[in-house]
Amino acid sequence: MIEVRNLTFSYGKEKQALHGLNFSVEDGEIFGFLGPNGSGKSTTQKILTGILKGHGGMASLFGKDLREVHTQEFFQKIGVLFEFPYLYANLSALDNLRYFSSFYPKEQLRDAREVLDELEFKRDFLRKPVSSYSKGMRQRVSMARALISNPKLLFLDEPTSGLDPTGAVLFRRIIENERRKGTTVFITTHNMLDADLLCDRVAFISNGNIVAIDTPRNLKEQNSSHSIAVDYLYQGRREERTTEASELKSGIPFPYDELISIHSQEPTLEDIFIRYAGRRLS
Amino acid sequence: MWNNKEENSDHTGINHCLTKKTGETQSSRNSLSSLLKKDFRMMASGKFFLVALGSLLLYTLFINFGYLNFMGVNANIYNVYLYDPAGTYTQASPLIRSAASGEELDKALARDTSGGVGIRIKGGKPSIVLYAGTEKVDRHRADYAFSLLHSGSKYTPETVGDNTPEMKQRREITCELLFIEIVAVGFLGIASALFKEKQMGVIRVHAIIPLRKSLFVFSKVFLFLLTDLVFAALMTLFNVGFIEAGGVLPAILIQTGILSLIMSLTGFGCTMLLKDFKQFSLAYLVIALFTATPVFLSANTAIKMDWINYHPFYHIYMGLKNAFFGTPVTNPVYYICAACVIILLFGIVEAAFHIEMRKEG
Repeated sequence: MIEVRNLTFSYGKEKQALHGLNFSVEDGEIFGFLGPNGSGKSTTQKILTGILKGHGGMASLFGKDLREVHTQEFFQKIGVLFEFPYLYANLSALDNLRYFSSFYPKEQLRDAREVLDELEFKRDFLRKPVSSYSKGMRQRVSMARALISNPKLLFLDEPTSGLDPTGAVLFRRIIENERRKGTTVFITTHNMLDADLLCDRVAFISNGNIVAIDTPRNLKEQNSSHSIAVDYLYQGRREERTTEASELKSGIPFPYDELISIHSQEPTLEDIFIRYAGRRLS
Repeated sequence: MWNNKEENSDHTGINHCLTKKTGETQSSRNSLSSLLKKDFRMMASGKFFLVALGSLLLYTLFINFGYLNFMGVNANIYNVYLYDPAGTYTQASPLIRSAASGEELDKALARDTSGGVGIRIKGGKPSIVLYAGTEKVDRHRADYAFSLLHSGSKYTPETVGDNTPEMKQRREITCELLFIEIVAVGFLGIASALFKEKQMGVIRVHAIIPLRKSLFVFSKVFLFLLTDLVFAALMTLFNVGFIEAGGVLPAILIQTGILSLIMSLTGFGCTMLLKDFKQFSLAYLVIALFTATPVFLSANTAIKMDWINYHPFYHIYMGLKNAFFGTPVTNPVYYICAACVIILLFGIVEAAFHIEMRKEG
């Protein structure tokens, strides 16, 4: 679906934003692009969505070079959720969706109410102006705008920002549903939980370079110390000991009266990112 | 057989191209219709039509109940006094009032409150005499005095139109207010509508939807053009008169169209390139002061400014004024220049629109 080879981009002569990125995204895959602010992830997404022109190297979408695909046909196939909910504040959710969907062929459109229902949008607000909505409601309408045209490729920039935990769970479920339908999803985020729970593969980007790319599971395994933290009671005292996973093969290798908990000491994606990039994600 | 196949294949190709082209045209038409509907709603919610209607009402009341009364439509045209001791000018117009002596001429001018002009003949040559304070008299006033002096000869002025003084004033003031409305209010109108969209960030969404980006610019400019044309038509009909406006309205609408397109495109460009409404206000001040004011000064007062010929808005203003007086601009260079400016501005605005779409949130 997406093929990127040696992708470069610079804002002016001295501000090189991307230094030769290489990655590919398969059809129906959820691909996470992780990096802190200013790392080049938004620039990459802007190039892939046709907003930024003048890149170096090769990038192809739907099997065609990016320089050739920015026609109306290309934009009919993609859906984009921006980091901020860009909507007409004086129009209602329905009017916003009607307006933005009017540029797509009717046969590929989903019903606006149905999409909003799926996003658990409060029906009372359907005809009220967006200016009266909470941030979470605006984010839902923005997501509906991205989904209404049944895109084959979905670009999501910080999809769960501005949502409460219930909303974030709902959004993750909807993204999973999209994958089940065969939609390819390209997520740009610095939210580790989203990346961990949703993405088939993630790429870490730092200072315009991809420093690691793999499945979240592989990344964790490769960077794991394979140690286990054991919390237990012994002679009336609570104690904690960290041990190698291999030492547990023949049971707990130290005396105890009662086990309280056993935790694997697996690193988080954030820990791994710091290890590769030398800086935090946010 | 081969030839037939090739022919059929060619036809299929042509049909495919035609279908694709028809599809694109249909899609562009649908996109434009959506944009127009949305822009109309944006303008309505921004109270633009209400402001335009209010301006129309205010201008109409001002012209009919204020300006014409204040200016005194029945005031006599200025008098011309002649002191010709040798009686050289025998063919002078009967409208000229003769003075028996130089002192009498001076007294007559001192008494005259309507801007009278005196002519003193010395050694067979006429010279203009003016009351103190009117020495920077309009050239046409002096020309008028000379034309009366040389009545029937080469100095006889050509009479254009058959306007009464009231009609002349109606046309003049309607033209001026229409110019102000389009230069200032129309310019601000498009800016206020666009700044809202810019602040909401929705312009960026248009970068990723299947839409020909030039249609976004076209839709806005077209709606403002349409509004300005309706405003110009109503303003002319209400203030010049339904019958009198009939003959001049097409030319007025053409000039209004040129001015409206230039101003709305300039407003669009400024909105895209400037950061916020504060910066825009400064640009607006510059445009209002340096563009509109010298035009009015040159066109309506005795202040002489030779450089005004190089001022593009002077030509547009005069084009509008001439249209009001039934003598529209016929020089094709004017229209070619206007068309080139509009095309150039459209290109600049489209580029600025693309820059805005690429901006970060």
